Amino acid sequence: MIARNPFGHVGNFRSTIGWARWSRNIAFIAACLIAIGLPGYAKAAAPAGCTELQAKYPAWKGKTLVNAINPHTPGYEAIDPKDPDKYVGFDIDLGEAIGECLGFKLTYKPVTFAALLTTLASGQADIVISDIYATEERAKAADFITYSKVFDGVLVAKGNPKKIDGINMSMCGAAAAENTGFVEVPLVQDLAPKCKAAGKPEPTLQLYDNNANCIQAILAGRADTYVNDVNTVDQAVKANPDKLEKAIAVTIPYSVGIGVPKDKPEFRDAVLAALILVQKAGTHMALLKKWDLDVNNFKEPDILSVK
Amino acid sequence: MMSLFLHYLSLPYLITGIWFTLAVTALGLAGGLILGVFLAAMQLSRFWMLAAFARGYTVIFRGTPLILQMVFAYDALPQIGLKLSAIGAAGLALAANEAPFIAEMLRAGVLGVDRGQILAGQALGMTPSLLMRRVIAPQAIRTMIPAFGNETVSALKNSSLASVISVQELTLRSTQLASSTFDFFSIFFASGLIYLLLTTAVSLIQLAVERMLDLDRPPSEDRLSRLMPWYRAPLTPEPIGPKAAEAKSGPAQADNIIPYAASKDSRSTRADRTKRAETLAHNNVVVKVDGLYKAYGKQAVLAGVDLTVRVGEVIALLGPSGSGKSTLLRCINHLEGWDAGIVMVGGRRMGFNGDGKLLSPRAIAEERASVGVGMVFQQFNLFAHLTALENVAGPLRWVHGLSRIDAERRARELLERVGLGHRMQALPRHMSGGQQQRVAIARAIAPSPSVLLLDEPTSALDPELVNEVLEVIRRLAVEDGLTMIISTHQLRFADEVADRVVFLSDGTVIEEGPAHEVLTNPRHPVTARFLSVMEADKPV
Repeated sequence: MIARNPFGHVGNFRSTIGWARWSRNIAFIAACLIAIGLPGYAKAAAPAGCTELQAKYPAWKGKTLVNAINPHTPGYEAIDPKDPDKYVGFDIDLGEAIGECLGFKLTYKPVTFAALLTTLASGQADIVISDIYATEERAKAADFITYSKVFDGVLVAKGNPKKIDGINMSMCGAAAAENTGFVEVPLVQDLAPKCKAAGKPEPTLQLYDNNANCIQAILAGRADTYVNDVNTVDQAVKANPDKLEKAIAVTIPYSVGIGVPKDKPEFRDAVLAALILVQKAGTHMALLKKWDLDVNNFKEPDILSVK
Repeated sequence: MMSLFLHYLSLPYLITGIWFTLAVTALGLAGGLILGVFLAAMQLSRFWMLAAFARGYTVIFRGTPLILQMVFAYDALPQIGLKLSAIGAAGLALAANEAPFIAEMLRAGVLGVDRGQILAGQALGMTPSLLMRRVIAPQAIRTMIPAFGNETVSALKNSSLASVISVQELTLRSTQLASSTFDFFSIFFASGLIYLLLTTAVSLIQLAVERMLDLDRPPSEDRLSRLMPWYRAPLTPEPIGPKAAEAKSGPAQADNIIPYAASKDSRSTRADRTKRAETLAHNNVVVKVDGLYKAYGKQAVLAGVDLTVRVGEVIALLGPSGSGKSTLLRCINHLEGWDAGIVMVGGRRMGFNGDGKLLSPRAIAEERASVGVGMVFQQFNLFAHLTALENVAGPLRWVHGLSRIDAERRARELLERVGLGHRMQALPRHMSGGQQQRVAIARAIAPSPSVLLLDEPTSALDPELVNEVLEVIRRLAVEDGLTMIISTHQLRFADEVADRVVFLSDGTVIEEGPAHEVLTNPRHPVTARFLSVMEADKPV
């Protein structure tokens, strides 16, 4: 239901004739091989250079680290509906690829979105890879290694009765559902004075603690819109095609980042170096395809760190 | 929808979540109980600092939301180096939150135990810890079970808040599953039903425990209570058959007590009395009260009382209500403190050590037991959860260290003597007032006290039950030569049994002398007026 059936591509491959098409499908094969199963993927060789990296950063080799996640975002991180004891998604795979490169394994700690960084700061987790946007504000609590661009979708009820087309004047008087701690929250709040100045009612904000609750708010008619990562919005529409729709995709000036503790710069540098190797080996791009995400999300890593 | 619901109801992922829910609940309740016991003990303590600390704790942890306490235990404690696992942190937070509620339950349970029973236990020389273990706790626990059931259900539901700190319990698993499958309602109906099954199980356990601890259940079904620490198997079975049936039909009939009216022939002649008085005058002093003064605020209850009692003497304390009779008796075995004066019993200064310092409650209890001051109360004050036999035998074992067999033999012997051989296994609540008071007398004299204090022993009895108790007391005086101080309104009884009468009014002894003399020929006008009011019962 979440991940597109990986074998869908195989049928495509069989019907293909000719070398030109064959070569075009090489990428598909790679994606399929990766997608066939997490265990198979995990046993694949680590990208070149990882051995050197482990020699340079030996502190985490052989360790098991804790990854704090908010597992309510199918495609990025959610439990596997077929095997609920496992977490699956793009972020999960990317984190394990980085871990494999540096020689550590990951276990997962599910927390609310708002608790991701506090869990990291309190030492209850070592790393946060959970589709969290790296903002200046959040960088006061953790250092970030950014790895993805952000495209938001505007989720509305079928037919978009309030004609909402983004976090703009169209949202005046509407009720927006958001998760506590989301970057969209202040953006909606900032609309209030503008709506008022234009003589329109202010938008109201309903705060929940996971995507499912935000989506339910629209299904129950309590909220008019939910603005979040476009993939999450697409998944919601896919699950309720006759009740929900995506109004529009908007660009938000943030990047998605991996959170690491501020007091461990060496770990931050090690993760950055590993991510670069993982990207160079093509794994990052392959994972985007595996999880049916827009390849335009791809971003070369940067570090966001504020005092 | 239905098939999805059943699918999620049986999904191992959710079923496993139950264990986390139960683990957090169990940690919370067990920890809360331990903490709660400490808190309740501190609040009931006579040291105000401890009580204040406990009060402060209660204010903070009862007054803040559990969800904040969970986050605090999980995220803030690591800052001071205490990094607990998620389950550990959730358990700690739940325990800290449950503790004040459990402490209040414990406190209410303890305070709910009849104060008279505690006094009786103290008078028997039971230390505070012994009283708690043998008298208060067994009764308090019975009354607290419904509240414990409530608390367990509430803790079980509250454990769902552990989902905010990543404990993989039922609620967290349900929300995660809902997020990844979008089957929102089937999942929450399934987990709701699981919670309902768990809380129903708690209710059933509560009902079962209540039933098992019910004292009125027939003993043959008494399985769990046999496992309880306070349970003592009877050494011989209670007699059944005609005698028991007879006892139910009317307690007075079955008792082989000679009616008090029949004891006229034993009334001593004036010559005998004079002779007895001369002998007693040479006996050792057993109780000596000197200038005893006690006041509540400005109102003096005892305004300088002097009293000397010799071995074998029977003293009748007379006087109007509020004249200080009860207070005087309670001061003699230091159940109450006083403001000035000295009380000596058996040559020991009750309640104080050699330097004149006040002893701890524990030391006073030990002193009461070793000096031997028995006490019988107006309201009987039997231990409500124990049979007649155990009421007598129990304190012998606990306080005086008798073996089970010896204690039981002594108890049987005494209960036979007070005419209750057929009621040994009866609970106090199933006995008449007269029977209860006779058990109380047996209990008080079981350790062979050097003096027995009786505080209006027949005042709470129905008129037809008075004589059976007076007869028991009379026999103790006549046959055993027991030293007794009896406060009473039974003038005829006082005339017959007492050697001396001490008349109290407004906290002072206004008249004192040989019983028959004072009763028939009072010198003080107050005594005369009191006796004339009591005309009906006045001796001739």
